[in-house]
Amino acid sequence: MTLEEGVKYVAAAYGVIMAVIVIYYFMSARRVATLQRDVQLLEDEARRLQGGAE
Amino acid sequence: MKKLLSAPALFAAAGILLVVGVVLAFWYSPTDSSSMGFSQKILYYHAPIAEAALVAFGVAFVAAIAYLRTQDMKWDRLSFVSVRLGLLFSILVMITGMIWGKAAWGTWWAWEPRLTTFLLVCFLYAAYWVLRSVVDEEQRRATYAAVFAIIAFIDVPITFFATRFLPEGLHPVVIGPGGGGMEGSMAVSFAICMLGMTLLLAAMIRRDYEIELIKDRVSDLKTSLGG
Amino acid sequence: MNNWAQFMAILRKDLIRELRTRDMIVSMILFVLLAMVIFHYAFTVKEGTDLTFFTGGMLWVTFIFAMLLGLNRSFAQEKDEQCLDGLLLCPVDRVTIFFAKTAGNLVFLLIIQAVAVPVFALFFIERSFVGDLLPFLAVLLLADLGICALGTLLATISMNTRSRDLLLPILFLPLIVPVLIAATGATTLIFAEGASFGSLVARLLFLLGFDAIFLVAAWGTYDFAIGE
Repeated sequence: MTLEEGVKYVAAAYGVIMAVIVIYYFMSARRVATLQRDVQLLEDEARRLQGGAE
Repeated sequence: MKKLLSAPALFAAAGILLVVGVVLAFWYSPTDSSSMGFSQKILYYHAPIAEAALVAFGVAFVAAIAYLRTQDMKWDRLSFVSVRLGLLFSILVMITGMIWGKAAWGTWWAWEPRLTTFLLVCFLYAAYWVLRSVVDEEQRRATYAAVFAIIAFIDVPITFFATRFLPEGLHPVVIGPGGGGMEGSMAVSFAICMLGMTLLLAAMIRRDYEIELIKDRVSDLKTSLGG
Repeated sequence: MNNWAQFMAILRKDLIRELRTRDMIVSMILFVLLAMVIFHYAFTVKEGTDLTFFTGGMLWVTFIFAMLLGLNRSFAQEKDEQCLDGLLLCPVDRVTIFFAKTAGNLVFLLIIQAVAVPVFALFFIERSFVGDLLPFLAVLLLADLGICALGTLLATISMNTRSRDLLLPILFLPLIVPVLIAATGATTLIFAEGASFGSLVARLLFLLGFDAIFLVAAWGTYDFAIGE
């Protein structure tokens, strides 16, 4: 196996790993943001209903 | 202290270590003199990912025991996210292992101990997922999943042992790439990558666990508002 | 009623029930014999293929799949007739139920093997291995114990899920691979070349360790597996 071929395989392996980590990071960051916004909306709604009831 | 263990901090620490580790692996550690040559560099991430996968399953194991003893759902959430991440890391081990195999032996697959053990591990924890998906009631699902997580984790070292040591005599075991000792400069890069990958796992578990807790909060709020 | 008496009572109930109707045992025996015929046609595409080194594998694959069928059947029956619910209402130690059920399944498996092994020898094995009978029985017993213990634990769980019989193989097969590796290695060695206890010691000890570890694990978790 020549050095060039070896580099290709190594690059492929590291590339897959990096890709997965980066994709995971951004997907989960977005998930957290969406969920926190949902919590905020629901809590506001709850407060509003309580305020209305009283 | 809490700030130090938060997900962003862990991600940052992991990121730094992994980048440093990779740089050292390529520019500081010597290229392996064996027949594998340059492709041996894959080991610096491949083995830490394998170790991290096993750590994830260990966390799931401990969390499962904690759930059975306390019946607190938080432990079930932790167990679940750990298994999911362990499964992800195991698949990465297989992919990088196969790429390395192609580079080192010229073949995409070989029935050698490491690949087969992780293949079985993937099946084992995929079964965990299937189990969770066919139980509707929450408490029972958590209980069954915990029992299986415990049994599965006990089986992992046994499987590793069996695939490596038992088939001798009738069929010689091929020791895959990575056998033999490591010189100092290799060991340093390796250790840094190992630590980095473990911190990365910790960061991902932390982040996923928090997501599960927020999801629970959202559904609690929805129930109290709707009902 | 102490634990031993309870164990014997449950075991006797299961054995009598099955031996009265015999449908599970007969079906499993037929399945095992049919599987052997199918293996012959599956593997001897080329005229005169030597299957000597496949014998251990064929035997244990057959037993494992027969056991999966039997476990599904017996637990489904229990669940449908609500025997298990009735049992749980009594003040019985949950773990005693586990050991009794495992013992019952072990007895069924041994009965089936008593019929299957001679037929298998007739179909596939050239040399007589009667000289190695004792080591062979040791392998058989130890592997059976692991299969029955894990099978009983997992069947208890899978029976209470949505996809009852489909789930059991998925849970069971990855876990039983170590037993398969040890048992097929030992068995093939006995059938192909003959083996004394000495050459099998590693595999026998491994199976013993496997059984011990998982019996303890099942002991610790069966309470939870069987539910309230």
